[in-house]
Amino acid sequence: MTEENVIEIHNLQKTYDKGKIKALNGIDLEIKKGEFISIMGPSGSGKSTLLNMIGALDRAEEGTIKVAGIDLMKTRDLSEFRSQEIGFVFQMHNLIPNLSVLENVEIPMYETRIKSEEMRRRALELLEAVGLKDKADKNPTKLSGGERQRVAIARALVNHPSIILADEPTGALDSKTGDVILNLLKSLHSKKQVTMVMVTHEPYVAKMADRILHVLDGKINNSS
Amino acid sequence: MSFFTLMIKNPFRNRTRATLAIIGIAIGIATIVALGMVTGGLQSSTQSTLKAGSAEITVTKIGSGNFGSSGGAMDESLVTDLKNTNGVKDTAGILRVNSNVSTSSGGSGFGSMSGFLVNGIDSSKLALVGIDSVNGTIFTNGSSNEIIIGKTIAQNLNKTVGSTIDIYGTEFEVTGIFESGNFIYDIGAFTSLSTLQNLTNNTGKVSYIQVKVNDNANASQVSKTIQDERPNDLSATTAVDQANRINQSLGMIDTASWAISLLAIVIGGVGVINTMIMSVFERTREIGVLKAVGWKDRRILGMILGESIILTLVAAVVGIILGIVAVEIIFKFFTTSQSFEAVLTMDTLLKAFAVALLVGIVGGLYPAYRASRLAPTEALRYE
Ligand SMILES: Nc1ncnc2c1ncn2[C@@H]1O[C@H](COP(=O)(O)OP(=O)(O)OP(=O)(O)O)[C@@H](O)[C@H]1O
Ligand SMILES: [Mg+2]
Repeated sequence: MTEENVIEIHNLQKTYDKGKIKALNGIDLEIKKGEFISIMGPSGSGKSTLLNMIGALDRAEEGTIKVAGIDLMKTRDLSEFRSQEIGFVFQMHNLIPNLSVLENVEIPMYETRIKSEEMRRRALELLEAVGLKDKADKNPTKLSGGERQRVAIARALVNHPSIILADEPTGALDSKTGDVILNLLKSLHSKKQVTMVMVTHEPYVAKMADRILHVLDGKINNSS
Repeated sequence: MSFFTLMIKNPFRNRTRATLAIIGIAIGIATIVALGMVTGGLQSSTQSTLKAGSAEITVTKIGSGNFGSSGGAMDESLVTDLKNTNGVKDTAGILRVNSNVSTSSGGSGFGSMSGFLVNGIDSSKLALVGIDSVNGTIFTNGSSNEIIIGKTIAQNLNKTVGSTIDIYGTEFEVTGIFESGNFIYDIGAFTSLSTLQNLTNNTGKVSYIQVKVNDNANASQVSKTIQDERPNDLSATTAVDQANRINQSLGMIDTASWAISLLAIVIGGVGVINTMIMSVFERTREIGVLKAVGWKDRRILGMILGESIILTLVAAVVGIILGIVAVEIIFKFFTTSQSFEAVLTMDTLLKAFAVALLVGIVGGLYPAYRASRLAPTEALRYE
């Protein structure tokens, strides 16, 4: 693994339903530290599966995958890796409805040794960064779709991950709100110098990235 | 927000479900507490310490109730007869009547706690029933209106030395208040035997006889001798026998209480499993998110288990309050008992909390395990 490659994937294969569905069929991929990558491809081509492999939410059957220097095929407990290196932004914000906005942002810090006041301070700092400091004590159900997604972004960043994985982060939003979220992600990417991998269906969104990857039938299609 | 605060917040997300689960467990806990309070009360009131001078044997007529009958069941002549039995030091005939009951014969002993019991005895034999000192003065034999009363009944009826009490239409004056150490006596009164006999048309009759044995004699032995001499007529019980019988009944209540606890654990446990499984089920996506942000399986297990325990501990508090209130209400409205008060012991409280904790752990373990083993991608795909 070279110094600047934060993600190195070779011949990665993942099947579902006892091998009947080949979701990933030999992925080869290298992503440099600090890069902004967008992934495109038809529905069912394996984009989400690939993102889940990078974020260690699931394990592949074949191939090698190293992320932030960690061999994901060989490490037994991957929760610490997820906690320290990865920040997920999903299509659905997936906020916990009975907790305040602030408390939702604090959630990832429970696995760290951060003290309560420091947790609060950090969460507020990130809410400020996404422009929602004044809504900290509100319930997420009282927020608009775009605001909720901004909370989810704050939650993804709170443990200072090295990689942000965003799976259609604007998919559930109207285009205007979606643009706000994209601009926020882009500015956070450059400000925090994180690596960002984003799945999207919109070509104009994909163009904001440093590089576009096309996935087809579980493979990276280099011809496009 | 601390992890603990999070665990406290979560169970009450679905208020209705949490409330139902809490009520279910609380009823079980309340039953345990109520039974515990009754047993505790019986225990503390029946712990009669046999005083040095008091009689060891109670002799009753067969068929007149086993705990010392009331009314005039026996001939007073037996009092002297029994005194001549081998090993007997002294005897005292006692006529017992219930002050609320106007008929002079029959009646029951232990079971009826309503009204209060008036005993007639020779004033020189008071030591045999454990009364060695009174606050005030004792009655004189043959006096028509002097009476001494037990400290429990004095408290309950609000009587002091000098107060008057109406018994069978005659006004008696309280000359003294005693503490015998025997709860049955302490809820009653003693007056002159002959006076009570005349008042209740029981001339020459007593209800039972107290027998004190010689210092070197064996009470059970003497008890057996008395019974063997009049096999179809008299029944003799030693104080030890009586204590054993009470302990046996208490033991039965105790067993029932344990059985109910077990039932509460099983029923409550199933209820909690159901509640928590539904809660985990509904929060599948959320658990997926918690895994995605790096929570360890152990923390998810701990969270669900903690939520379950918090639910049952809240139920314990509710159940304890419910149990105490229920016992208070039942005692206030459904018994006229002056004999004992329900006692909430530390043991009962600890048992209630222990059962709740157990239900929380038993009921929470499986749902918590299921939650901790959810595959993150599956959980996140869950609709
Ligand atoms: N948990 C699963 N069980 C069974 N099959 C699955 C599972 N997850 C994904 N698949 C299958 O794997 C293939 C790739 O799915 P994936 O979700 O990665 O596609 P995608 O490119 O993200 O599609 P979309 O654009 O619709 O989100 C699909 O055929 C899908 O049906
Ligand atoms: Mg997808």
